[in-house]
Amino acid sequence: MADMTVKGAALAAAAAGDFSDLPIHNPAVECASRERIRAIQLEKLVAQVAWTYERVPWYRARMDELGVAPADIKTLADVRKLPFTDKSVLRDTFPYGLFAVPLDEVVELHASSGTTGKPIVVGYNQNDMDMWSDCIMRLVQMAGVVPGDRAQMAFGYGMFTGGFGLHYGLQKLGCMMIPAGSGNTERHIAMIEDYGTTVLIATPSYALHMCEVGERLGFDWESSTLRVGLFGGEPCPPGLKAEIESRMHIVCTDNYGLTEVMGPGVSGECLASRDMQHIAEDHFLWEVVDPDTGEPVPDGEMGELVLTPLGKQAIPVLRYRTHDLTRVTCEPCACGRTTARMQKVRARCDDMLIIRGTNVFPSQVEDVLSGIQGVTPHYRIVVDNEGGLDRMVVHVELKPEAFSDSFEDMERLRRAIEEKLKGVLLVGVRVRLVEPGGIERTTGKAKHVEDLRK
Amino acid sequence: MSVQQISVFLESQPGHLRRVLDAFEDAHVSVRGYSASDTGDYGIVRFIVDDPERALAVLVDMGAAAATTDVLCARLDDTPGELARVMGIMADCGINVTYSYSLISTYIALSVKDLARAEELLAGEPVELIGQDDLARPLASGEGR
Repeated sequence: MADMTVKGAALAAAAAGDFSDLPIHNPAVECASRERIRAIQLEKLVAQVAWTYERVPWYRARMDELGVAPADIKTLADVRKLPFTDKSVLRDTFPYGLFAVPLDEVVELHASSGTTGKPIVVGYNQNDMDMWSDCIMRLVQMAGVVPGDRAQMAFGYGMFTGGFGLHYGLQKLGCMMIPAGSGNTERHIAMIEDYGTTVLIATPSYALHMCEVGERLGFDWESSTLRVGLFGGEPCPPGLKAEIESRMHIVCTDNYGLTEVMGPGVSGECLASRDMQHIAEDHFLWEVVDPDTGEPVPDGEMGELVLTPLGKQAIPVLRYRTHDLTRVTCEPCACGRTTARMQKVRARCDDMLIIRGTNVFPSQVEDVLSGIQGVTPHYRIVVDNEGGLDRMVVHVELKPEAFSDSFEDMERLRRAIEEKLKGVLLVGVRVRLVEPGGIERTTGKAKHVEDLRK
Repeated sequence: MSVQQISVFLESQPGHLRRVLDAFEDAHVSVRGYSASDTGDYGIVRFIVDDPERALAVLVDMGAAAATTDVLCARLDDTPGELARVMGIMADCGINVTYSYSLISTYIALSVKDLARAEELLAGEPVELIGQDDLARPLASGEGR
């Protein structure tokens, strides 16, 4: 925040190291002693396991197989007796197999793209929506958002959890929502000016793009009303955030979450420890495990984050394997909160890519290519964010027999592959044809992805 | 009368064209003309050689994506206005030239959609087409150096 104009007294004080003017949404939990937090978690975990066992046949069968009953959960460590949940479980039980409440009690559905075919679908009853909004209200206030702020949404709405999740929470806090949705950058900038927008919700790559378009149009970010950016949908490297902050003259935080356990809001960045995010611990029990063995790693060490939502009713997922790598500290934070903080996720144990907020799996690319005559199944994905937006280039190897002397034919093939990939990945990609044998063959686990994003 | 052209799919990267040319040299294939353009990440590089069969075999051995195409090959006098004259005839005959490039000396290769028809149309015109056999000879010799 060094070389930027900080707008508003509370943010200016925070920039100077005094966080006392920033609101804390629920101090009874967020600033409770570690003992108190653990007590809340245990009480909710016991109830959650019973709820799940009684209402979801899939979990009851797994727990019976493992010989564990709800009554066996007596301490937080007993969570390890419970089965893990992987993404495949949600796919296999599509659409309603894991629901624990009658469908007429469900008030909203959301979905995320799956690896192949069916998406992952999740449902929320009113209790879950309230829990979600509670999480959102916490994290937006960490960034200095207050009732009366005018919050402009640049996420797409639709089935993606990011749009509506943030929308409801911000509205409940008392913000005026401006549901602009994704796309049309110039219109977004005009709306900031016309409506006096103070908060922008966007993916960091889109925010940077917006910043650049604004600069080109001669928009004066420094004197604009905008003062806070709430980022999500994709990891935000510190360098990118600092750049956006200094060029747009706003304070930006990002948060963490995933559709399978709720959506955005599992944890959020506070301005006192910017590489870390406070976990809403009364709503989520976290574990950090060795991704290979599933055993807990020593305190504070890097491992795979495993989450059990507490008090979530419509889909009560137990021990969800996020495949996200992080480390967690329980040291109190300078912002005044005592909730555990997780380091921002920069790597995953599997190779999922997040391109402009959309999950992309290399296996999807492989599937598409194997269905196309004229190219080999060998490929390489190169991702960069030159110019602000994520750009994905798929290198595809031409088969000798598919070659013709006509450049037009070659371009037609190339574009047909682009279209097919776009149809499956739901994100635009560029296909680059390479010579037969041009993709390096590796022994063992093939290295398909080169991520050059800064 | 036409000649066989060899086309190769090549990425626009240093060394890729050279690899093909080295292989041609090792196989004693003589390149009489070629074209490469700035079509982006990849391109189609076209060769007119003395022995297209051997050239194709070399490329297939390398695992390259290659193909042969028949193209017209016209001999032009090295005098001002000659290219305009030949292209004028093509135009008058209503033959569209998809692409064209010049070879050693004053020979140009011309790709057209319907080769047989073009040959027929040009038969009565003052355009000297040459064949594959002509390419095997040193083309410039006897042209009064």
